[in-house]
Order: sequence, then structure tokens, then C-alpha cells
Amino acid sequence: MFPLSSQKKYWSFNDENDIAVLREETNAEFISKHGASMTEEKREKHFLSVGEERVLQRFYESQLKEFCKRFNPPMPKPTIATALHYFKRFYLRNSVMDYHPKEILVTCVYLACKVEEFNVSISQFVANIMGDREKASDIILNNELLLMQQLNYNLTIHNPFRPVEGLLIDIKTRYPAIENPEKLRPYIDEFLEKVFLTDSVLLYAPSQIALAATLHAASSVNANLDNYVTDILFSRDHLTAIVEAVRKIRSMAKCVEFPPRDLVKNLEKKLDKCRNQDNNPDSDIYKQRMQEMLDEEDLLDNEKYAKIVQNQADHDEKVLGVTNVLSPTDT
Amino acid sequence: MYKHNVTKKFNLYIFNYNQKMNRYTIIGKIGEGAHGLVLKASDNASPIPKIVALKRILLKRIEDGIPVSVLREVKTLQQLKHPYIVELLDAFPAGLDFVMVFEYMPSGLWEMLKDYDKPLRDSHIKIYMKMLLEGVAYMHSNNIMHRDLKPANLLIREDGILTIADFGLGRLMWENNSRPYSHQVATRWYRAPELLYGARFYSSAIDLWSVGCIFGEMLNNSPLFPGDSDIEQLAIVLGHLGSPTAESWPELTSLPDYNKITFPYNKGILWERIIPDAQQEAIDLIKSILIYDSSKRLTAEEALRHEYFYTKPYPCSKMQIIIPPNDHRVRLKPKEVKTNVKSTTLFKNLLNIL
Repeated sequence: MFPLSSQKKYWSFNDENDIAVLREETNAEFISKHGASMTEEKREKHFLSVGEERVLQRFYESQLKEFCKRFNPPMPKPTIATALHYFKRFYLRNSVMDYHPKEILVTCVYLACKVEEFNVSISQFVANIMGDREKASDIILNNELLLMQQLNYNLTIHNPFRPVEGLLIDIKTRYPAIENPEKLRPYIDEFLEKVFLTDSVLLYAPSQIALAATLHAASSVNANLDNYVTDILFSRDHLTAIVEAVRKIRSMAKCVEFPPRDLVKNLEKKLDKCRNQDNNPDSDIYKQRMQEMLDEEDLLDNEKYAKIVQNQADHDEKVLGVTNVLSPTDT
Repeated sequence: MYKHNVTKKFNLYIFNYNQKMNRYTIIGKIGEGAHGLVLKASDNASPIPKIVALKRILLKRIEDGIPVSVLREVKTLQQLKHPYIVELLDAFPAGLDFVMVFEYMPSGLWEMLKDYDKPLRDSHIKIYMKMLLEGVAYMHSNNIMHRDLKPANLLIREDGILTIADFGLGRLMWENNSRPYSHQVATRWYRAPELLYGARFYSSAIDLWSVGCIFGEMLNNSPLFPGDSDIEQLAIVLGHLGSPTAESWPELTSLPDYNKITFPYNKGILWERIIPDAQQEAIDLIKSILIYDSSKRLTAEEALRHEYFYTKPYPCSKMQIIIPPNDHRVRLKPKEVKTNVKSTTLFKNLLNIL
């Protein structure tokens, strides 16, 4: 239920300004940490600004959508929406310069597949990726725990698809004035696809987004649902807030635009220079650390558990008396 | 406003793992699960001494990354907050592994049933059934089925309260019957007959079948249908309940594995003989749960309203509930016997007597 969900509690913001502040902080923190020795002027030239980070995030959101739509076997809509939701959440508190969006993109989709029960194996998954598949699967599996942690293990996403079904059923039963509500569907889907590329999902309840989509679809087919909203759905006192939310969601969806390709190319070049090499799977420092972790794990596991098992055996022996039937010594 | 305290850098992130892990001191091993170890640990951050159970998932050995079963468990336990359902206290990555922190439970229903020194009395069975059914009813009302209910997954807290654990097979039910589920769920002895026939579209009624089996096991103090293979399992169930008919199990002929095997006709055994010492109300209850037709099986809600719970002996009060000893698991652990000892040495005394 959305009102009791972690989505409402931790991941719904009051207004766009709150989100903007968070992103600015994230960007500033990265720059102050990695550019401590640089002059103000050099920093500006070297690092991505918060606006530039946003351009890349938006670009990769659309890439994410494209990747999912081309995915084989065909991916259900809620899985795509959940993946986009994870991606947005991740970059609220993480800089693009810390974790490259192309790496987080695939990890978000992979985790969303699992959470939404669209079960594909890692090899099936990376078969959809061009290039080095083994490397891709390493990147995904290495980032999976990081992503889960950054999501604060809030994995359940409430998408607007179910509320849309509810609205359509309700319109069919309580508002016969509209003929064949099923004809709204393609327009609703089209609208929702745009919505997922905006910050609406971080600001509004899934039911509000569903209503905005339905009203948008109605106006696309020249049907009028105004009376349904004002007379059937809401009382006068709630109406103003709802109308405002719907207006805002629709205007945000209208403003979706794709960043120009050459701008993205330039920013990617800039990112290659300023990204945190510690998290770059191609860097030596990253490879070295991964190896150390693997080695350390083996050592820790063996030594630590041998000791624990021994301690427990000693304890058991004390509690139980004899654990082993010993052979009597011959005299 | 949201606090901005997320660790950003990967090396910091590793540091954070260890810091989290340092919060707990490992003091023993509880068991081994499908994906790793379950360890006993003390929580150093707690003001009063507190023991927890750490479930450590070893991701290194798993090809597809974090198992879906773990995600399901995290997701369902975040959603379910109930006195008779285990609580997930914390979750964090540790090195390349993933750790889930649970309240420590010194015992379980499996141990309670194994402990022949303290047989369960009727009033104890009733309170366990009541707690189990209330937990199941709550989880079903949240559209979650457990799919692996069995005595070993019902833990007993130090105050004697039963809690449902191990939601690794727990999953959200689809809104409609549009997508199939896996039928390879539930430990065999507690697996519903529709699953044994390969059903891919089933309902929360499979959990009730398991509840019925657990109930029978408590009443008899031995497992009701202990099959060694899936075929034998089916044979035992059919042998007890009698051959199904079009009336007692209408959906049978449509199940995937229906044509693969046929059993000779069998008229079944009376419940009064399967569970000889039980009171009539207990027989009535189990009779309405362990039936072939899953749509006619009682729901957890309905079972809770059964007269069994409202006739003497009443479910015992929280004061009379059995308190498990702190080392219950250890005590019931099978004792090791050295096998390489020559039989002549081992039975020396016996030979002398003869």
C-alpha cells in the first residue's frame, strides 16, 4: 500500500526545489573532495557542473528506456519503470563523476528484473549488451550490492500501472458518459513513458500520476472527464490540490526533451577525465582492490570460521559431556 | 529534509562494511542455509546484552549475483510487521557478501517436537496453532504466500512465542492468474498435492496444506506424510486420504503431471485412525484443511474461527507457554559417534556378557 510504503516515507519530495538542493549538494561534495588542490577556475573547467550532470543523467535515462525496450525477451512495463526509478534515486545522492551512469544503468535494470520477478539469468541479461559481456556481467554483479545499499534496501516500487487499471474500471462503472474507455489506453501508455523520464515519480503519488495520464489521454481523444473528477472522484476541498498536481505532472511531461548528441559527447569526454578512478573498473587501482578483497575474504573465511567452530565444539563438549565415543585403551 | 550522509567513495564504502560488521561479534554457528552460514552474534551497539542471528549470503559462489530468494525475503519482511513473523533488524554488505540480521531465537518447533523429555500438551499445540494461523492469516491478507512452512522454519523465541521465519520462498501473489509460479516449492513432506502433480497456478491454500501437516505432526509427534521421493509422497498422501475422485478433486485431471502416473484404487484411512489420540474438534479441523480441492480448504482466517480453539482444553496462556532452554539446538544435536572403531572393541563388554 503506497501510503505506508518506503517510497512515500523516504523517496517522495515536497517540491522540485528539495530535489535540486540535494543534487547540488551531491555535486559540490564531489568537487570539494576531489578538487581540493585546484583553483576555483580550474575546478569549473575540470569537473561537471550540476547542470551538466543532469544532462548526462537525462541522456542515460533515455538510454535505459531504449535498452529495456529492445530487451529480449520483451520486458514488462513495470520492470522498466522500476529500473528508471532506481536510477533516479541513485543519482540523488551520488555524483555521475563517482559512478558512471552507463554502469549504474545496467545494474538498475538487472536489479529491477529480479525485484519485479522478470527472471532472467546474468548470461541471458548480458546477451542484450553490446561489447565485452564478461566485463559487463562483472560490473553489474560488483555494483549490485552498492545499488541496493544506496536504495536503502527500499526495493518495492509503486508504479502507476495499477492505479490506471483502477481508474479505468471506475470510469467504466461510474461514468458511462465516456464511450469505450479502453480507447484511452494507448494514450495513457504514451504519456506514462514520458512521465518516467521526469522527476514526477519523486514528487507525486502513483495514483496522481495515473490520474494525470488518464486525463491527458481523455483530452487527446477529445473526451471530457472533468465532471468525473469534480463530481464523482473528489470533494470540493480536495480538488484544488489535485488539479494543481495534475497540471504540474502534465507540464513536466510536456517539457521532456532529449539533450543534443554533440553536447552529450563533449560531456562524456569531460567525464572520462574527471571521474573517480577508484570506481572505474578499467583503472589499475580498482582491479587491485578487487583482487585484495577476494584474497582477504578467503583468508578471513577459513581462519575465522575454523576458530569459531572450534570454540563452539569446546563449548558443546562442556555442556554435553562427551561428544565422541572414544575407544577404550587396551591394557 | 533528508539527511545527506551517504558514503560516496568505494574505499569509504568498504570501510563502512567493516564498520557495520564490527558492530557484531560472532560467537557461534547456528546452521547452514542454501546460500551460506547462519551465525550467532552479539550486538555491541545495544545498551543491554543482545544476541542476534546473522544470515550471511556468500555471493562469491553465486553466478547471478544476489539471489532472488534473498530479495524476496528482504522485500516481504519489510512489508510484514507482526508479532508472529520474524523481524529483519538490519541488512548490509560485508566484503563481497550480504548479511541479514535477525533476532536470535534459541529454538524452533522442530526442536520442540524432537524434545521427547517435554512432550507437547493439547493446550500447547493449540497455542502454537493459533500463533501459526494468525501469522499466516496476516501474511495472506498482505498477498504474500510463504511456500515453505515446516517445523524447522517456525522458530521459538526465548519467551516461548512462535514466529514464522525463512521467507526465501515467500513471494507476492500475482493480481490475476496470468503468470505461473514454480511448483518446486515447499519441503516435500509439507507439499500440497496440487504441487506434487506439477501445478503452476496455485494459491495461498498451499500454505494451509503445510499448516495441516504441521498440525498433524504435533498431534502425533511424528510426521504425517514422510515421503522419501515425490512419487512416494503422493502415494502416502493418496494412501491416507483415499483415491481422489472428480468430486473430491475437480481440477486434478487438468494438472500437468496427472497423466504421468496412476495409482491403484485406495479407499483411504479414517482420520480417527490416522490421528488416534486427538479430540474430535482437532480431527474436524484437520479434516477441513487436508483436502484435495484447494478451493474448499479452510483459509487461515476460517481455521482460526474453528470450534477447536473454543473448546477445552483452551489454548494455554502466555504464562504457561513452554520456555525453551537456551541451548536447545545444541542439546538436540545428534551426538557424534566415531565410526572407525572396530566393532570388537566397541562391543567388548557385550561379548564378555555373552
